[in-house]
Amino acid sequence: MPSTSEMEARKLVKLGREKVHDISATDFPGHHPGESHHWDLEQFKAKLQVHINSLSSSAIEFDLVGVDASVANALRRIVIAEVPTVAIETVYIWNNTSIVQDEVLAQRLGLVPLAVDPRKLHKKASNDEEPTDLNTIVFDLVVECEKNKEAKKGETDPSKLWNNTEVLSSMITFTPKGSQDQTFSSNPPRPAVGGILLAKMRGSQKIVAELHCNKGTGKEHAKWSPVATASYRLLPTIDLRGPIPLPLHSKFQSCFPPGVIDISTGHVVVADPRKDTVSREVLRHPEFEDLVSLGRVRDHFIFSVESAGQYFPEQLIVEAVGVLSSKLYALKLSLNDLVL
Amino acid sequence: MNAPPRYELFALADGEPKLTVDEDTKIPNAATITVNKEDHTLANMLRAQLLLLDYVTFAGYRIPHPLEPRVVIKIQTDGSCTPIQAVQAACDELIRALVVVKNQFSNEVNRATLMREADQGMDGVEGGGYNGF
Repeated sequence: MPSTSEMEARKLVKLGREKVHDISATDFPGHHPGESHHWDLEQFKAKLQVHINSLSSSAIEFDLVGVDASVANALRRIVIAEVPTVAIETVYIWNNTSIVQDEVLAQRLGLVPLAVDPRKLHKKASNDEEPTDLNTIVFDLVVECEKNKEAKKGETDPSKLWNNTEVLSSMITFTPKGSQDQTFSSNPPRPAVGGILLAKMRGSQKIVAELHCNKGTGKEHAKWSPVATASYRLLPTIDLRGPIPLPLHSKFQSCFPPGVIDISTGHVVVADPRKDTVSREVLRHPEFEDLVSLGRVRDHFIFSVESAGQYFPEQLIVEAVGVLSSKLYALKLSLNDLVL
Repeated sequence: MNAPPRYELFALADGEPKLTVDEDTKIPNAATITVNKEDHTLANMLRAQLLLLDYVTFAGYRIPHPLEPRVVIKIQTDGSCTPIQAVQAACDELIRALVVVKNQFSNEVNRATLMREADQGMDGVEGGGYNGF
C-alpha cells in the first residue's frame, strides 16, 4: 500500500510550463499492481465531501470532493440542459402596432424566465398535442401607449409625454384556466424578473398578445435552461519545492492573484490556493520555475451555479441529481427488458 | 434549413429501441451496446464506472457522429460476469453513488440555511423577486 503522500500526489494534475501531465485518473483495478481500486459504496461515502461556500437566492458555490470527473461533468451538463422548466412557447398576437416585429417580440418573450414550478405542469407529449390546463399556462400581455394628459407644455422626455413607453416583463399577467386556480393558488406564475425590456412604444401603439407556456428542457431550446450558467473548476495546488530568496518575495507574490501568497512573516507561505486563477505566471520566470510546482486536485470540484429564477439554486442541484438518476434507471430498465 | 427538430436529440422515434446489444462472435465475453438518444452525459459516466469493476477488461465508448444522438459502448469482461451484467452492475453503483451525493448535498444545504437563518434572526430568504416553491 503506498503512503498517504503518494496517494495525495496521485490525485494531482500536474501543470507544466507548456504541457499538462497526468490528466486522467489512474485509480482503477489493474493499473497499480497489488492495489485494489474497485469501487466500494462505503469507501465512496467516507471520501465524499460536499461543502457549500456561498448560497444566495440566485447563486450557489459549493465544493464536491471525491467524485469522478465524468460524474461532475454529467451533473454540469444536466443542470444546463436537462432540468425541465417552463417558458413561453406560443405567442398569439392579436394586435401589434409597435415598431418591434411580431416574430422578434415573440422571440424575446420566449427568453423571459418564468417563476413557475415545473413540477406542477406536465410535459406535452408532442408539439401538436392540444393545450390543456395540465400542460399549458396562459399569460396575457396588453399594453397601450397613450398620451399623458398631465404632461407639462414643452415637455421633451418621452417617458413623461406618454404612458407605457416601455413594455416590461412585469406587464405579463397570469390568467388561470381550469384547475389552475387551485394548483397555483399558493404561488401564482409570474416572470422571475420584472424589469426586462421587451419593446419600446410611442404614440397610440398597442400590443395585445396571449402567451402560452409549456414545459421543456434546455436541450430543445436555451430558453428552457434554468441557469444563467453552471460551471466548475478544480482546486489549484501550489507546492513550494525550494526556498524563495528574500529579495524576490514580493515578485513571487505578484505572480499570483492577491491573497494566494502570504509573505508577511518573512517566509513565503501559500495562504489560500483556492483564490488562484492558475495563470502559470510563475513558470514564466526562470528564477521561480524550479522552486514551484503547480497542480490541480483531480477530484475536487468547485461548482458555481447561477439560477435564472425558475428554481432556487440548491433545489436545482437536487433536481439535476434526480434527473441523472432517472436517466440511469431508465437505461437499467431497458437492459433488464433486453435480458429477460 | 436541413436541421432536424431538436426534440430528436432526446425523444425516441417510433419503433426505435433504446438499446441494442451486439454480442461479439470472435472475442469471448465481449459485447457492443448501441444506446439511442444519449450523449456524453450518460456514456462517460457509465464507461468510467465500468472501468472500476474488477472483472471488466475493456470498456470504452464512442459517438459515431456528432450530429446523431447515438452512443456505442464496447465492453469485455474476464468471464466471471457477462458484459450486460457488468453494465447493470455499473448502473446500480452509479445510482447508489448519486443517492449518497444527493443526501450529503441536501444535508449541507439544510445546515447552511439554518446557519444563515440564525445569523439573520429568522428574517427569511434574502433578495430575489420571487419566493420559490
